[in-house]
Amino acid sequence: MADRRRINGPVGTTVAPIFEDDVAQESKEAPKSTRSRAPNAIRKMYLKTGVTPSASGSAYLEIETSAKGPVSGLKLTCTVHGPRSLPKSTPFSPHMILSAHVKYAPFATQQRRGYIRDQTERDLGTQLETALRGAIIADRWPKSGVDIIISIIEGDQDRATSKSQGDETWDMMNALSGCVTVASAALADAGIDCVDTVAAGVAALVQDGSADSSPTIVVDPIPSEHEKVLGACCIAYLPTRDEITNLWFKGNLPASEMDLYNQLVDRGIEASRSANQVLVECLGETIGGAASGQVS
Amino acid sequence: MSSTQHVLLSPAELAYLHASLSLTPPIRPDGRSPSQFRPLVAETGILPGTNGSARICFADGTEAIVGVKAEVERTRLAHDFDHNTFAAGSRLEGDFVEGSYAADAQVDAENVNEEQRVGDDDWVELTVEIPGYRDDDPGTVFLARMLGEALLADGEFARKLWINRRFHWKLFLDVILISPPLSYPLPLLSLTTHLALLSTRLPRLKSEGDEDPFFDDDWAAAPFIYSRNSSNSSSSSSSTTKDGKTSTTSRPPISLLVMAVGNNIIFDPSKEELAVADVALAVSVGEAPSAAAARGKDAMDVDTTTQDGLQRNLQILSVRTIDPPSRLTPPGVPNATNSAYGAAAVVASAQKQPEARAAESEAVEGVWKAPRGGARARVMAALVLEVLGRGGVADEVMDALDGVDLV
Repeated sequence: MADRRRINGPVGTTVAPIFEDDVAQESKEAPKSTRSRAPNAIRKMYLKTGVTPSASGSAYLEIETSAKGPVSGLKLTCTVHGPRSLPKSTPFSPHMILSAHVKYAPFATQQRRGYIRDQTERDLGTQLETALRGAIIADRWPKSGVDIIISIIEGDQDRATSKSQGDETWDMMNALSGCVTVASAALADAGIDCVDTVAAGVAALVQDGSADSSPTIVVDPIPSEHEKVLGACCIAYLPTRDEITNLWFKGNLPASEMDLYNQLVDRGIEASRSANQVLVECLGETIGGAASGQVS
Repeated sequence: MSSTQHVLLSPAELAYLHASLSLTPPIRPDGRSPSQFRPLVAETGILPGTNGSARICFADGTEAIVGVKAEVERTRLAHDFDHNTFAAGSRLEGDFVEGSYAADAQVDAENVNEEQRVGDDDWVELTVEIPGYRDDDPGTVFLARMLGEALLADGEFARKLWINRRFHWKLFLDVILISPPLSYPLPLLSLTTHLALLSTRLPRLKSEGDEDPFFDDDWAAAPFIYSRNSSNSSSSSSSTTKDGKTSTTSRPPISLLVMAVGNNIIFDPSKEELAVADVALAVSVGEAPSAAAARGKDAMDVDTTTQDGLQRNLQILSVRTIDPPSRLTPPGVPNATNSAYGAAAVVASAQKQPEARAAESEAVEGVWKAPRGGARARVMAALVLEVLGRGGVADEVMDALDGVDLV
């Protein structure tokens, strides 16, 4: 016999109510946000170094959102610990041992992330490591290790789009480009020698409108602003050496259109050059600030 | 399983290896030509309990097994999965009251054309197991992501797993390296996965529309996920989009490992070769049915001449940079700064910091120095072009894989 003194919930599973207005709005009335920037303009970003006093180097990056509605930008913090001596049990290493950890905050994305790093985060960590290892002059610190820890406080995701519409990979590419740029700033803040400042940018081949229209290439894409993303690449680039340290392309391009692929890479480089300008300016400010601080 | 595992080669050995691989033509330690793969033994259908399986053994002793298992899973209905059902008045309760929903859905089951079959990337689960490494090791995760990314890149593969609007197949791909990782196992694992998927069959569906799925008991009647050849493929296996071009990929993707040393491009590098790489890339390639074949099929005049003149319609699905282990190799010491060669004066001056830095950065012929920085964009483009170009390596590998008997 059911307990009559309590108000029991239904026996089976329930689903949160969905009101028709939402559905109607989503599908018809609310216009999809469209890209208002020029195709070769990246979003504005805010970069600051030295935000965590206890770490040997740190940086904070925020990318504004240009889309309307409940869209959050990307917010990242990075701390660099080291170079410090390795534990005695580790075998001799002629180079600095670099380890990069990327972690989404549990509340950063639409779907909650656990506290243990999942496949996506480990994958991002590996790619970040590849991008940075090319830039660091690792043989100046034998027998030492550096930990780079990035937490993504706010992932760049549109809350209005449902999970089935959004593709996680394109968001991951944006996150990776932010990770590389912020880690590079934090490494410079920690005073670790690099051949150049590495920054990353994303370029995507997108299709707006009908399927017959020819695809265009845009930099720093927001997936929800476009009808369909056909392919994208994230490039970590050293501008003064003109070298790529990490390249990640995903998409579906016919082999006959290698030109398109090369264009995509070129635009990715362009995007990373823009990000690098912000990085250099931020580091310049840091040096200027430190110098004036010493004087006063 | 990281590409950056420790390589036990001295700086002198590395310098020698780098020099011989930079020659034109390069001289590889095992005498292969730059684009030649290691010889391999392949077989399919080795595991009777799976939907598809394959085993590949490379000549250097690395061996991998892939098993594919499929399960029927209920599709989680998103509230916006079909606006027509809302309009038709079946509305929310239709989703949960099975009887009324099924009856309603059956009416417009015929309306579900190929366009509405959408797959989800969650329907495929790929795991990689490397002996001696944790399954959450970043390198292992990186390999699994790379293989999975190529498989799902075009969205067609997940669509093949669609049963009806309420059910789908969930495919588990378990990739196991059964030998110790003697070289970076990406090409091996990718080729084995490719063969396993080619031999994968799913039971033939007997039920219609959105009924609970009911399958044919006869395993011999089970169709392959990737139809064998275009001549016997039925209309169900090759979907034709409205603009007339077929969009199914006719075979699973393959990922190739390619590296550059000096001016040379080298395929399928062994562990020692990878240790001196300037840059290493993993390039995933898929194949779409060529437009000529599609037209021929539509016109129903597939004669031998068009089949012979057929060339592959390759697609580039994904490119990733592999961290070359060369960056972690120990540097050699040139004679000029080596006190053992009586360079005492030089050593004395090198004690000062600026000179030491200068000596560090200058390259001496024949002395190994770990590469710094990345690679030029045109070098990376050349690597990709070498894979995909006409008569490129991807073509060759696909041809070779055609020779494997599928059981």
